[in-house]
Amino acid sequence: MTVTFTINGVQVEAEAGGSVLDTARRYGFEVPSLCHHEAVVPYGACRMCLTEITRGKRRKITTSCNYEVLPGIEVRTDTPEVRRHQSMVLELILAKAPENKALRDLAARYGLRVPRFARVARQKIKDCILCGLCARVCSESIGAHALTFTGRGDLRDVGVPFQGEPRTCIGCGSCASVCPTSCIVMEDTRTTRKIWDRTFRFVACDVCGGPVMTEEHKEHAIKTAGLPAEYYKTCPTCRQNGLAGHFARVGS
Amino acid sequence: MDKTYVLVPRKCIGCRTCELACSFVHSNDGKLGRSRIHVHPIAEGHFIQMNCLQCVEAACVKVCPTKALARSEDTGAVRLLEGRCIGCALCATACPFGHIHFDRPAGLPVKCDLCGGEPACAKFCPSKALEMR
Repeated sequence: MTVTFTINGVQVEAEAGGSVLDTARRYGFEVPSLCHHEAVVPYGACRMCLTEITRGKRRKITTSCNYEVLPGIEVRTDTPEVRRHQSMVLELILAKAPENKALRDLAARYGLRVPRFARVARQKIKDCILCGLCARVCSESIGAHALTFTGRGDLRDVGVPFQGEPRTCIGCGSCASVCPTSCIVMEDTRTTRKIWDRTFRFVACDVCGGPVMTEEHKEHAIKTAGLPAEYYKTCPTCRQNGLAGHFARVGS
Repeated sequence: MDKTYVLVPRKCIGCRTCELACSFVHSNDGKLGRSRIHVHPIAEGHFIQMNCLQCVEAACVKVCPTKALARSEDTGAVRLLEGRCIGCALCATACPFGHIHFDRPAGLPVKCDLCGGEPACAKFCPSKALEMR
């Protein structure tokens, strides 16, 4: 079932159950966000996607990522009031990571230069803004459940449940890929990957000896994706070279 | 989907214009490592172009945990929906032909999407070794 409503005066259509944010972006309206990712359930943690939504006689400023589309609502993404609220939210986020490049770039779009608030970050990881996207991707998409929020109040943090090494982590690196502030450090060498204070060993390519994927990631892939173990013996480059060589032999 | 992407290794002269065209179209920096297509020398004066085969039963689509790889209905190509990708790199390791590479700095796989039906590699190929026909 499709739902019709307006965004900035433009009539738009969306599937029932979709979010205002996704619809706005599909129609080319720019709405900033940090914690949103299409692969996971909306969470509304960063509050950057604030928009003004009028439903009947009620008008409110609310997050668009977890606001389900409704027929007849009027959404405004660019009013001075919306920008003022977003700017305030961003200033507060900046207090957690004042030097972060991604945040500074976003702040420049709001004309924010000098952070007004003193740095308040108590997180173990520098520049973490506690959006929780890493933990949600790890649980919802990968299914490893290696990360979680820990602590309460100003001691809230993202990390490994009950401290220590992440025992269920498979070292896939998705958390580092999705992090909006790129604050998760992943160090790769030819044979090892270090992430969340745990060192993983890479499966070595049968041909060149280079890294294919971590051993834990391989086990996880065999279990969840249902592909045979032979798939994961060589790195993509060597596999392509092998195929080219095969064609050469067939052709000659 | 009235046209097919055809690779003719016999006509390939190994100039790598396709690699350049591909990387410029997709990444603006012209780094050959970012190219979706790769030219391999297989013998003296003979080359073969290697690019995604857009498999009907694609391993990359099968393994993707977030359904970020999906077949486009207009071109028939398996393309990456960047917004859904979480950068787990499983597609790159699952491709049986090694046609997907993972761009670690960008956190995204490098995968041919046939440029929405008009591949730049075919457009720039001087010897018609790559064609849409």
